[in-house]
Amino acid sequence: MEQTSQELDRLVRKYVYDTAMYRGYPPFLAETSTALSIPLPDVQAAFQRLADGHILVLQPENGEILMANPFSAVPTPFLVELEAFTCYGNCIWDALGIPALLAQDARIKTACGDCGTALGLSVVNGQVHGDSGVIHFALPARRWWEDIVFN
Amino acid sequence: MLFFRSEEHVDRWCRQWNLPKGALLSLDQGWRLAQAWYGTDRREPDWRRKNVEEAEALFSELGLTSPFWDLRANPVG
Repeated sequence: MEQTSQELDRLVRKYVYDTAMYRGYPPFLAETSTALSIPLPDVQAAFQRLADGHILVLQPENGEILMANPFSAVPTPFLVELEAFTCYGNCIWDALGIPALLAQDARIKTACGDCGTALGLSVVNGQVHGDSGVIHFALPARRWWEDIVFN
Repeated sequence: MLFFRSEEHVDRWCRQWNLPKGALLSLDQGWRLAQAWYGTDRREPDWRRKNVEEAEALFSELGLTSPFWDLRANPVG
């Protein structure tokens, strides 16, 4: 029986997060197509639908995943070190979101957004510790998705 | 969302980039928000994004009650 778009999207979303949670960054179009035995155009369409639903953010040039929140597909100033792998969050919230999602301890290495001074945080047994500082949300919550890359 | 050494550094960054100051969260608030936002397993078939009511309830639980966190207000400016 043919899969509905909704079923396909669920399958693709599960694979994207299975992969990101296993290795720290989301899968590419081609490997998703191969792993799920789904034609590439169908995977492209599923990625796009998930992006339209604000579940993924795609790279505009090639349709590959840029963000499967909280994971980033590309290096960012928010390095997250876990026992099994090191990866990148999209922002400080997402950097904290990775150990929250995985329920694991982590070390987060970032820098002051203003002066660039190195700042380190750690999550141990469900508690966060580290350098003092504040988190700044630049855009009001209702506008986050207007420019999610800036945000 | 960036991390800054202090509010003074946030103010300097806003001036430098000519951006209005947004909302500040303590590290503990940010961690609790991350736990609440990302604590559900996105691999589950029934997982879905939080709707407006759920997100606002979460913000409210964390003490984030200013208009900045209002998901329904008309955009200003």
